[in-house]
Amino acid sequence: MSGGAELGFTEHLFKVLVIGDHKVGKTSFVKRYVKNQFYEELKTTIGVDFSMKVIDWDSHTRVRLQLWDIAGQERLRGLNRVFFKRSSGALVVYDMTNGSTLDGALNWKHELDSQVMLKNGRPIPAVLLANKCDETKVCRRNASLLEKLCQEKGFIGWFQTSAKENINVDEAAKFLVKHILQNNEESVKEEEQNMQINLKQQSKSNSTCC
Amino acid sequence: MRIIYFYTFYFISSISPKKNVKRNLDFEPLSTTALILENRPANLPAKPEEEAQKHRQEYEEMVAQAKKRELKEAQKRRKQLEDRCKHEESIGNAALTWSQEILPNWQSMCSSKRVRDLWWQGLPPSVRGKVWSLAIGNELNITDELYNICLARAKEKWNAFVAPTAATETESEDAGLSHADREASLELIKLDISRTFPSLCIFQQGGPYHDVLHSILGAYTCYRPDVGYVQGMSFIAAVLILNMDTADAFIAFANLLNKPCQMAFYRVDHSLMLTYFAAFEVFFEENLPKLFAHFKNNSLSSDIYLIDWIFTLYSKSLPLDIACRVWDVFCRDGEEFLFRTALGILRLYEDILTHMDFIHIAQFLTRLPDYISAEEIFSSITNINMNSKNKKWAQVLQALQKGQDRGSPLLKH
Repeated sequence: MSGGAELGFTEHLFKVLVIGDHKVGKTSFVKRYVKNQFYEELKTTIGVDFSMKVIDWDSHTRVRLQLWDIAGQERLRGLNRVFFKRSSGALVVYDMTNGSTLDGALNWKHELDSQVMLKNGRPIPAVLLANKCDETKVCRRNASLLEKLCQEKGFIGWFQTSAKENINVDEAAKFLVKHILQNNEESVKEEEQNMQINLKQQSKSNSTCC
Repeated sequence: MRIIYFYTFYFISSISPKKNVKRNLDFEPLSTTALILENRPANLPAKPEEEAQKHRQEYEEMVAQAKKRELKEAQKRRKQLEDRCKHEESIGNAALTWSQEILPNWQSMCSSKRVRDLWWQGLPPSVRGKVWSLAIGNELNITDELYNICLARAKEKWNAFVAPTAATETESEDAGLSHADREASLELIKLDISRTFPSLCIFQQGGPYHDVLHSILGAYTCYRPDVGYVQGMSFIAAVLILNMDTADAFIAFANLLNKPCQMAFYRVDHSLMLTYFAAFEVFFEENLPKLFAHFKNNSLSSDIYLIDWIFTLYSKSLPLDIACRVWDVFCRDGEEFLFRTALGILRLYEDILTHMDFIHIAQFLTRLPDYISAEEIFSSITNINMNSKNKKWAQVLQALQKGQDRGSPLLKH
């Protein structure tokens, strides 16, 4: 997933899914995030809409995000499952003004976890987005409910967002990227450790051999 | 490069207060370009005559070239105008041929070489709907009455949906659709209508075709509750509405969706869809081996772009006039032409695509350029050979289907 490290500069390429029921604002979220624009009228997504966002994370890290915005209709879900593979993270979106889409989001999360996982078997990082927050407000009770849901369902966190008013769009994405980068570092470390263990074992077996 | 340098230099000096302009030019200079020929300001050493001569010459050459270019462009414009007139005339002639000669003798003429050739060039808009209707046919024997019955039932359901107390009666009649499914279907139709050709502003709430589109999609969910509404259908219905009356559009819509390829996609018959993708890839590899390899190296599978293209029959991804021309030949040649068009698009953009990585290819193909020349795309499609080792599309598809029944490894990629 990560590119070559030249002079201490690393470039990462991550595939991020944007999933959730239809009409919750997935495409609007992506357009806001990538182009900082909001469109009232967008064409329906059939299959997948692709976008790319390049983030200069810090002075020696660049992150290229491939955003896979996946069509939301229930019927097409089976079809789009094939697009889940090899993704590094997910934004799971629901519409705050439509309660049933939260159930939908949980279904999407379940589906996601059954399709992809990290090398160490843990679920890939997923952030729950309560979108269209400009149209309603999260009361305190809801907030604690979402907190609980996140823990139960294995989301790394939740944000209330508005693609229309540009609220928390960058923040939510940044939060996800941070976790993806952490996972990436950990898996690199784990691999190194595994390699060292292998080397040790090899040298041990070599020594007993001689 | 040097010209630009002179230009900037003198432009800067010309706005200085010490401006000292002597106009000894034998022709009228245009805009700032002529500043090149001005003498240098007094605070700078004078330009040697030799250099001045050179600049004058360079400038004259530039003017001559600009004139030449203008002349060329004028010629081009005239040619374009002539072409357009010719094109319009040929459309007019073609419309006459279609309406007076071909349509009255449809059965006997429709498969003749002459008609097929004329068909390839695009159907005149005035007869397009009629030809589509005839070519799609009405295997399902749908009548205007049946459409009205389906529409009436759809309206009942919408009302029941608005007033849930009345819903109990109709609910038991739904073949396998749960209340939630139906609710989602109705809501989805409403939403999708607003997202169908939003730039045309005719299908949206308050637009002239909003109710028609709503009616056709609603009637279809009553006609085929087992298929229901699937995203993408609104685009197909919209294109039909633009070319024919409501009842005819419904008949064409239902029959079109009943064709094997469309049924496979709209019922999300996964294994059959994979067979279609695999057949497509056979022809892809043979027609465009380099691009095929490039896509493979970038793990770009054909479902990424074909899903969008096939579900909407290109009406979402190609400019509408070109999409209609693709529909013309699709009506003539059947599903094979949909995949041939896909290869034509790939062939047209082969050079650009071979220099792109995964995400850029995916983005490009799911969002094709706004301006595509119909001539270019059709000449590209012409160059696609739909014979693979002496096998036609249908044969390749059939062989793959049989292979798949036997569990051939070919499809497991």
